[in-house]
Amino acid sequence: MVDPKKLQDKAKEILVRDDVRRLIGWKRGTYGYEAAPAVIKDASDAEVLIFDPTCVQNPASFITLEEKLPVPRGAEPDTRKVAVMVKGCDSRAIVQQLVEKAYDREDVIVLGIPCRGVIDHRKAEAMFGDVAAPVEVSLNSDKVTLTVNGEKKEAKREELLMDKCLRCRYPNPLVSDFLLDGEVEKFADDDFGDVAEFEKQPPADKWAYWEEQFSKCIRCYSCRNVCPMCYCVECIVTKLRPQWTRRSTDISENTAYHIQRAWHLAGRCIECMECQRVCPVDIPIMTLNRKLTRDVKELFDYEPGVDTEAQPLLASYNPQDPEEYIM
Amino acid sequence: MADYRFAKEKLADVLSGLTDYKVFAPTVTGDVVRFLEVADPAQVSLDYTNSNVPPKELMFPETETLFRYRLGQNEFDATVPSPEEKRLIFGIRPCDAQAYSIVERLYRWDFNDPYFVNRREGATLVGLACADPCANCFCPSVGGGPASEKYLDAIMFDLGDTVYLKTITDRGDAVAKALSSVLEPAGDSEKKAAEKQADDALSKIQRSIDTAGIPEKLPSLYDHPFWEQFSDRCLGCGICTFLCPTCHCFDIQDECEAFDGRRARMWDTCMFAEYSVHASGHNPRPTRKERTRNRIDHKYSYFPTKFDVIACVGCGRCINYCPVNIDILDILEKSKEAQVKEEKTA
Repeated sequence: MVDPKKLQDKAKEILVRDDVRRLIGWKRGTYGYEAAPAVIKDASDAEVLIFDPTCVQNPASFITLEEKLPVPRGAEPDTRKVAVMVKGCDSRAIVQQLVEKAYDREDVIVLGIPCRGVIDHRKAEAMFGDVAAPVEVSLNSDKVTLTVNGEKKEAKREELLMDKCLRCRYPNPLVSDFLLDGEVEKFADDDFGDVAEFEKQPPADKWAYWEEQFSKCIRCYSCRNVCPMCYCVECIVTKLRPQWTRRSTDISENTAYHIQRAWHLAGRCIECMECQRVCPVDIPIMTLNRKLTRDVKELFDYEPGVDTEAQPLLASYNPQDPEEYIM
Repeated sequence: MADYRFAKEKLADVLSGLTDYKVFAPTVTGDVVRFLEVADPAQVSLDYTNSNVPPKELMFPETETLFRYRLGQNEFDATVPSPEEKRLIFGIRPCDAQAYSIVERLYRWDFNDPYFVNRREGATLVGLACADPCANCFCPSVGGGPASEKYLDAIMFDLGDTVYLKTITDRGDAVAKALSSVLEPAGDSEKKAAEKQADDALSKIQRSIDTAGIPEKLPSLYDHPFWEQFSDRCLGCGICTFLCPTCHCFDIQDECEAFDGRRARMWDTCMFAEYSVHASGHNPRPTRKERTRNRIDHKYSYFPTKFDVIACVGCGRCINYCPVNIDILDILEKSKEAQVKEEKTA
């Protein structure tokens, strides 16, 4: 566990620097098992910062989410750095953003946090009920301890952790300027068994499944907005002039949206699973993304978000690339 | 007003007994609860907290055709729902019913929106009292309650094996009449159990807000930096507004294929940048700060100023589903604390 004092002190030390604009981390949420992303601009506010197993959000998303208004004539743009706290999975987003030149390496200060997993608040609610009072959560090698309304509760790690954590291959940040805790040993692995299992179904069944899932979509675009890799200034699905995707919700437009997004993330998705976590109607978006991740890995031996020196998948070419699909 | 009961295992008989109505009820698909027209009574569940998507979609669908047209012809077919069509919303929560009454003030204001109004006029609301409100429910703070009858034609209490049904209006009595073969008169024990459940549910509400003074104060905070505490982490997605039972904004689009087209309206949200962008390209709400402010100001200041009612029913959905924990109660509390700077005198 990261000592909150150490984390806050480091944050303060960074925030007082003249070349730092803001720091993104986490703070305690207003209820239950929630944490909230915290955007801190003043060192005196750094005391709200925490890291615990409720800190599920990916702070890397907020680097590119920041809106920049046009700079008034005669004024200089604010080029100060953004500091960001990341878990292992979150750090892959920064690596991939750097690979794609979303910003320069010197624009960010990365505070890495080795992570043993974060909890899925839906799983916690199912086990311990939904509660208004914020819940304290801690984690050790085999169990999660929660303080719900003053009462101590325990659960096994695998009962409460996010699915992504149960197959986590990168618990330690892959890019960081400061590490806020000692590295942890890798505790899980990923064989993409879920993808193989899903693929076994006949096409008609898969289509029926996705038809049901996409029909639920209300096109709130939370999956897109929370995604650290969806940082286009103007997204094709919301572009109005010309319009490429209709704003109406129906199975056709909803399917077009989800397929577009999945393809745009091929070789780019870093599997932070935020899209699926935020979906208000439980669309299993990661099932699509993981299929593409697995295919990209098998076909091109490529994994996004692990090496800052890598080329983007679609910008790289290898004469040995398989080409069975070309007649 | 009369009291009835039916065995919960007879729920399917109740639903199929309503042959005069088009019946909509909370339907479970996976983990998602939504109000759908009843196709299979077995999928209908009374065992849910608040539906993921509010039943506003029954009056104001996500996407709705206003009329169809054919290029080259000066004719169009308006697709206005008939007020004669009897629709029954079965198992609606008191807060969602209250939301209809709020949205209605706008849709019947300077123009009667026939799409919303006709559906509402044809609708009978058979409510379902809450036994277990969610952690973020705060309906008593905004004029509602877990067993509020105010906006319903009849109300049901799920008492375990039995459902107690109390009719409130003539429309409610008409439903009871249609179900005379399934319903039995309720006894004192059911009435008492329902009263107890209502009291218990009220005591289970964990969150609240004193709204006094908020509508008057919010305009003075228009340029206050406190909004940034929330907007800095806002994703700008549509969850809070699309899932809000009182949010009622829509966009209008023409969709044309070859020679046939339709004009349709679909949910829109002030949380999207393109919502307020002008044809010139100028956007008067250029960042999420202005958009976050607008959502709160609209619900807790503009709407009460114009229509005498806060446009929030305390269902908790915007809090429960916000991916970044932007909490409307937290914003309102902080708005009370925010100090307004004295106007500088020249």
